[in-house]
Amino acid sequence: MNVASRTPRRRDAIAESVRGLSSGTSADLRWTESLWTTIRFANGRIHQPHHEWNVNLSYRFADGNRLGTSTTGDTSPAGIDEVVRSARSLARVAPKEPKFPGFPTDSAPRPRPVAFSAASARISPEEATRIAERILTAAASRAPGARIAGVVNIGTERRRVLNSSGLDRSTRTSAAQASVLVDRPDRDPPVSGWSEGAHFDAAKLAPEKIGREAAERVATTAPVSVAPGAYRVVLRDSAVASIIEFLAALGFGANGEVEGWSCLRRLRGKSVAPPAIDLVDDARSRGTLPGAIDYEGVATRRTPLLEHGVARPAVTDVVTSGRLGRPLTGHAVPPESPSGEWGPVPTHLLLAPGDASEEELIRSTRRGLLVTRFHYVRVVDPGRGLITGMTRDGTYRIENGEVVQPVRNLRFTESVLTTLKGTELVGRATRAHNTDGRGGFTSTCPAILSRSFRFTSATLF
Amino acid sequence: MADELAETALRAATPSGVEYADVRVIRPKRYLHLAVRDGGASALTSSLSSGLGVRVRTRLAWGFAGTSELNPAAARDTARRAVRLARAAGRTTARPLRVTEETGPSRGRYATKLREEPFEVPRDDILELLVDAEKRLHVGPEVKSGAASFQAWDETKEFLSSEGASYAARIVHVGAGVTATAVRGALVQRRSAPNSFGGACHQSGFEFVRGLELDARAASVGKDAVALLDAPVCPTGPTTLVLGSSQLALQVHESVGHATELDRIFGSEAAYAGTSWVSPGAIGSLTYGSDLMNVVADATEPGGLGTFGWDDEGVAAQRVPIVEAGRLVGVLSSRESAAELGLPRSGGTARADGPDRAPLIRMTNVDLLPGDLSMEELLEDVDEGVYMETNRSWSIDDKRLNFQFGTEVGYRISHGELGALVRNPIYAGMTPEFWRSMDAVGDASTWQLWGVPNCGKGQPGQVARVSHGAPVARFRRVAVRGA
Repeated sequence: MNVASRTPRRRDAIAESVRGLSSGTSADLRWTESLWTTIRFANGRIHQPHHEWNVNLSYRFADGNRLGTSTTGDTSPAGIDEVVRSARSLARVAPKEPKFPGFPTDSAPRPRPVAFSAASARISPEEATRIAERILTAAASRAPGARIAGVVNIGTERRRVLNSSGLDRSTRTSAAQASVLVDRPDRDPPVSGWSEGAHFDAAKLAPEKIGREAAERVATTAPVSVAPGAYRVVLRDSAVASIIEFLAALGFGANGEVEGWSCLRRLRGKSVAPPAIDLVDDARSRGTLPGAIDYEGVATRRTPLLEHGVARPAVTDVVTSGRLGRPLTGHAVPPESPSGEWGPVPTHLLLAPGDASEEELIRSTRRGLLVTRFHYVRVVDPGRGLITGMTRDGTYRIENGEVVQPVRNLRFTESVLTTLKGTELVGRATRAHNTDGRGGFTSTCPAILSRSFRFTSATLF
Repeated sequence: MADELAETALRAATPSGVEYADVRVIRPKRYLHLAVRDGGASALTSSLSSGLGVRVRTRLAWGFAGTSELNPAAARDTARRAVRLARAAGRTTARPLRVTEETGPSRGRYATKLREEPFEVPRDDILELLVDAEKRLHVGPEVKSGAASFQAWDETKEFLSSEGASYAARIVHVGAGVTATAVRGALVQRRSAPNSFGGACHQSGFEFVRGLELDARAASVGKDAVALLDAPVCPTGPTTLVLGSSQLALQVHESVGHATELDRIFGSEAAYAGTSWVSPGAIGSLTYGSDLMNVVADATEPGGLGTFGWDDEGVAAQRVPIVEAGRLVGVLSSRESAAELGLPRSGGTARADGPDRAPLIRMTNVDLLPGDLSMEELLEDVDEGVYMETNRSWSIDDKRLNFQFGTEVGYRISHGELGALVRNPIYAGMTPEFWRSMDAVGDASTWQLWGVPNCGKGQPGQVARVSHGAPVARFRRVAVRGA
């Protein structure tokens, strides 16, 4: 199936639904076509090969400043009529959005072309399966007898956004993501290793490297218990991705600012991290999984979040730009999305690399822990940026600048602000992480060394 | 009964070499979400989706494909895509797949019993209810934000398999709730009713939402949020913990439900959601909790989000004992995982969250059964302790052992009575020790069925809608503290 060739005629038909509206009303719509192949493997075999092709139309109608949104996968003329009728009926009864600024016009900054891989967009089931097989083979050859599990996601999305202010913009994205776990459940306690990668071009995914790295990270000695407490930590890139993603949601989302629970709401313009910390959101970057526009058709751009450690403003969409009186930043999520509860958040994070190798980060730690990644991270107290989660798939004790032994997993309960404020060194190698396997939330980051990180309990393995 | 499109897909999905195929046609799935925040509309959304999913099994591998397009060409194309995936996957293994033989094909119809169609209730009536409730949350200037929301789901499905299974189902869920956020300086406190994260959900018509009486609850929710700003932080230390029903329901979800999913136990979810501390050989012998602990997975329970006629493999809904008098006696299973364990039949828990997703083992309604103590009797034996209710945060390790939960409110218990409010309460523990410390279980008057409409699992991600019934219960020497 080819996304580009399927539905242009119907798309033009729906464009009429935002034109010629009566006075005092306005509308925008999102037409999304997506095609994904997911190959999951576990216990040494491909157990869940998956393909999906979806079309979705999201229509938002504004009756003055009353907003209603409706979506449909039925893109027949009757389906389009129904979605328009439904959005209008919702808008008619909606409470007012008093500061609704109206939809953006086409005179706003134009989107720039972003990197895209046509070959990835049309990858066949057999080619995707072959990539999974290459990861499996590479891992198995380095870790005979181990249990290997993971996933390969490859696909594409084409999005067109139109509104009654004359905006008509499109973007197409391609994304490839893979991750693999190599574990030894037969050991007591069990040990495991992890690796992952993401790129807009499936040909650059490096499956052998991913499989090999996970296998080589499996500890050869039994993990020991360490007492919970505050430790100096070297957080590998996967762990750093969790930290900056929660910082993005808790500190740079507009809803947190509007509703008063943002952990950065009283810290804008102030230093919250060392000057070496530069965090931006930039969906145009080739270092992420790029996209040219957001879900309101606004051009994505490089948006500083932490500039030399200083907190910049929250990102916005149409509704929150009105509520906060701030310009649009190009971070709208679909208005119907369940994640819309969070409001607009930065979704293409890039933490600037430093110049330290992982070995140098470890050498700079007299006593501490090396953490590969976190699991099941959740918010404890949003106002303080306090989160909790577990370490997973490779946690090690560092003594006198050397990794001396694996340790059993620990629970942390720590503020993302404390972690970043305590950053002493930043690694030079960065890696792209895509948590949903669909290119929606991407973090590209290096490892860091942070002065103090609070572990509050330990588990049995 | 069989859908013509489903038959078209099924024919295309069963070429030579395919041993089994099933087709699900969703037509339609409706969703309505009305949310009012601070007097404005934070979300007024309706969605209508349809689609078709095809799953095939060769001797060596599964293949799955789904699409939102409902026409014969797309049905055939999707089926062929599933076959190609299964063949490609089959070339990577020599190990044959095994599944349980299900006795008798599933045929019939299932429909939610409801009195008031939620999609026919005028939307301005629902909004009026939400606006009124949200307004009542604002009991003072410290209530910085108020929210009231309503959600309804309505899915109509046809299922057809190459073994002759053929059923139709219509399942309707509704839910609603209110939340107040109070802010003073850096302090942020939330209080919700009847539950956090969207409120209470049931398989029901709109009559369930009317029964929630959001407007009557809202003012006290706002007052609680403000009172929490002045409450002391929850004390630290091992102490007696009494959990309210909704929090205990989530505890069951995280530390019993997920831990007893057979795909996790076998490692099929190892790379993403994780595995389980339960080993395949532990069933029948493992002491999971105290002898007061009795847990069932009941897909036949009225009102549950995990209640249905047949699962997405065509297996009929069942009530499966999981823990009896503290001993693990059962697990959540699918046809493939049940065969791997040597069970005679599947537990009927394979479900997909839409036509473009393959079925996975998902919880149904995993309930902790009530004991025989009233709330007063349960508190009587507590000299010092903490009562916690309404979840605020949750996290557990990838084997479902080490957990930490935060709740919206806590109350000190002193000499058998609930006392002062405490804020930011957290409790933590290890699954077996925690359940073995349960020394009192509330009676049916304390037991409630709670919907959990946001259970994430799988790659690509799926969100299952499940329920848990739980009473109030008491646990000894639990680590509690304030965040």
